[in-house]
Amino acid sequence: MTLIYRAIVLFILLLVVACQFREKDFWKQTTAALVIIPLVLRLLMIK
Amino acid sequence: MDWFFPEGIYTIAMVGSFVLGAFALKLPIAIALAAAAAVGALCGGAGFPIRHLVEGTFGYLDTILIIASAMIFMKSVQRSGLLESLAARIIRLFRSMPLMLSLGLMVIIMIPGMITGSSTAAVLTTGALVAPVMIKLGVPAVKTAAAIAMGAIYGMIAPPVNVPAMIIGGGIDMPYVGFALPLLVCTVPLAVFSALLLVYPYLKKGAGDEEALEEDLSRMEETPLTAGLLMPVILLAVLMSGEQFLPSVWPPLGMPVNFLLAALSSLLTGKKYNFLEASREAVNDAIPVLGILMGVGMFIQIMTLVGVQGFIVVSVLALPAWLMYFGMATSIPLFGAVSAFGSASVLGVPFLLALLGLDEIMVGSALSLLAGLGDLMPPTALAGIFAAQVVGEENYFKVLRHCFFPAVVTAVWAVVVIMNANTIMGYLP
Amino acid sequence: MKIKGTPLTALLLLALALSVSALAATEFKSMWTDDLFVPAPGFEKHMLSEWFDGLKGTPADNPVYIQKGEEPGGTVLILGGTHPTEPAGMMAAVLFLERAKVSRGRLIIIPQTNIMGYSHTSPQEAHPRSISFTTADGGKRTFRFGSRLTNTLYEWPAPDIYIHPASGQQLPGKERGNINRCYPGIPDGSPTEQMAYGITQLILKEKPDLSFDLHEASPEYPVVNAIVAHERSMELAAMTVMDLEDMGIAMRLEPSPKNLRGLTHREWGDYTETMPILMETGNPVQGRLRGRTDEKLALTGVDKAYVVASALGRLYIPYDGKQTIEYRAGRHTTSILAFLDNLDLLFDDKGVSVEGVPNLAELEEKGLGFFLSPAGR
Ligand SMILES: [Zn+2]
Repeated sequence: MTLIYRAIVLFILLLVVACQFREKDFWKQTTAALVIIPLVLRLLMIK
Repeated sequence: MDWFFPEGIYTIAMVGSFVLGAFALKLPIAIALAAAAAVGALCGGAGFPIRHLVEGTFGYLDTILIIASAMIFMKSVQRSGLLESLAARIIRLFRSMPLMLSLGLMVIIMIPGMITGSSTAAVLTTGALVAPVMIKLGVPAVKTAAAIAMGAIYGMIAPPVNVPAMIIGGGIDMPYVGFALPLLVCTVPLAVFSALLLVYPYLKKGAGDEEALEEDLSRMEETPLTAGLLMPVILLAVLMSGEQFLPSVWPPLGMPVNFLLAALSSLLTGKKYNFLEASREAVNDAIPVLGILMGVGMFIQIMTLVGVQGFIVVSVLALPAWLMYFGMATSIPLFGAVSAFGSASVLGVPFLLALLGLDEIMVGSALSLLAGLGDLMPPTALAGIFAAQVVGEENYFKVLRHCFFPAVVTAVWAVVVIMNANTIMGYLP
Repeated sequence: MKIKGTPLTALLLLALALSVSALAATEFKSMWTDDLFVPAPGFEKHMLSEWFDGLKGTPADNPVYIQKGEEPGGTVLILGGTHPTEPAGMMAAVLFLERAKVSRGRLIIIPQTNIMGYSHTSPQEAHPRSISFTTADGGKRTFRFGSRLTNTLYEWPAPDIYIHPASGQQLPGKERGNINRCYPGIPDGSPTEQMAYGITQLILKEKPDLSFDLHEASPEYPVVNAIVAHERSMELAAMTVMDLEDMGIAMRLEPSPKNLRGLTHREWGDYTETMPILMETGNPVQGRLRGRTDEKLALTGVDKAYVVASALGRLYIPYDGKQTIEYRAGRHTTSILAFLDNLDLLFDDKGVSVEGVPNLAELEEKGLGFFLSPAGR
């Protein structure tokens, strides 16, 4: 089950990064960056 | 002064920099919250505590997975044509019975919230489903959104699953048992009231334009409503109720998996669409809210770190007895601006402890109702934001304006229930 | 304030997010190293997996220390650190571990019962990551301050609702990571449930006559400065409460609620033959009324928000502006020593005699660090 959830985190992380690169507004890109941090740390099972 | 200094100053600095960022500089709410948290830490002599700022966000990691996957589900059923087709069918069935239809719509909105304990899930699933129906039936878009937001909150508080009540109970080691009837007392009268206030008048009037409605209906029915097309919704209902009602045999998949499985199943039916493209668009719509939750997490952690939390909670507890009920009816929903669950934990538990003479289950239920109202409180206003989104209204404050009166009635009802907790409990079987 | 976003800014922001993640990661990982304990002579180190081999090689395998006296007698089990946010419980167990000389009977100690809760701190609690003490020779001993719950990484994803297997009791899903809601535990459950099962197996096998689970509670919570006793432990607990009263230590005595399941004082009593005792002291750093949250608060309990709350009559402990860890751990050690005396009185052949463990007065006089072994410089 943990693996499935890590896969979901990865999926959403990739979607957020994709959105970040297509976004035309700097602050919305920054908002995406905020969301990326915990997703990365959970994906790597650090926190 | 001793009491106010320095935590009062920190409070002003944090709230002040949030207001400055969000309203003067027009930064996104998420960024304003994160910046306010950093300012609070700096004022509080904690420097720039990366560990605390990042750790705070983890309070909502599971929540953002649920929201993102719920959004993907919603986008998918939109693209497959299911949403419109189902809405059309419901209108045809109940057009001639306005009272039944208003109450029925309210129940439909509440169900996912009852099962998942999340107002967001309610707004984004059945809320999104009934929104076009209600608008076609003549309910103005903002009132539709208001009804969906209120129904979603009542659904989140109604049994069987109510997370704020679990959080409040957990704080005093009270198991989540025996809450069903008290929670129905808290929610059913309000749900009926809101349906009658926001929906019924328009349905009764038949304010919809019959011809335009008929035209819309036939366009919406373009993808025929077959059992196959309905599969994603049926699958989701089965997955969610299985987990809730057969916990001993059902695998605990959790909401994100349930939503994603249901979303994937929509690929097999209806109109063809690109799943990855739909998912990306869904996440793009969700990022502002996901970011707000991250900002809120940082904000709460820093509040706790520098002592603002204790300052606020004890200040509220210090109110004279006659102000106490007013204090809880305002402070719990207001704190919900940061987060309804956070409010249940930070303020709900102290208030429950302060009211220990009264029936704990009834009081805990009513406090959870107040915490639920937090989902209407800007800037987060999860229920309000998403409800505005599903009716296509850009400014969610227009929706919140119509929620104001039902929300006040809700808060008053919660206080009435608390003051008469023992009496009401005496009437329940 | 509008700024245009480009793929380049996106790349820069992504790099920034990854750097922040990396910095935060080093801080989070700093809690992954086990604490150092210096057991008194005579203690043998075992692992919990010796009683339930399902734990072998998992993060739930946990050191268990046993000291046997020369003379035969009873067996006493002491658990500290069921909740890592309640440091006086752990430190009282550590004082027994590092000071006790057992002359009669057997003493079993698990200083960090939920060891999986020590490798992280809970989001939004802003708790310190460690607490430190100065030893008699000026050295420093540091112990982790963790989370009430098992590290999320081991219990993720948490179910929406945690259903206690033995009773069907429903709690918020995260409580599955609270070992004191998981007893008696199940062998094929979650890591925390398995660990609870291991401890139940240890009790069944080693048959301790008396078993302590040491806690702390928020000052605003009614069950504080309290002993919670199972029906079977009630007589012994009542005697002890009277003795403590004579020593000037006020203690509430609460019967273990029958409908609150998964806790030590209920399940150990119902599933094993030991006499369970759970004890609580007043700990501002875990309370919801607390102000500034840091190591100092954990060690001293000095908090002006609690001064105001106390004046408002909101607290269940007498609060004079502080609740030092010496006072809190001292309440625990003194109470355990009083229990041991009464165990001997009530059950002739079950006595356990322990020397060398500081009581409340000694701890308050010399400081807790004075009684820790001067190691780990
Ligand atoms: Zn505890």
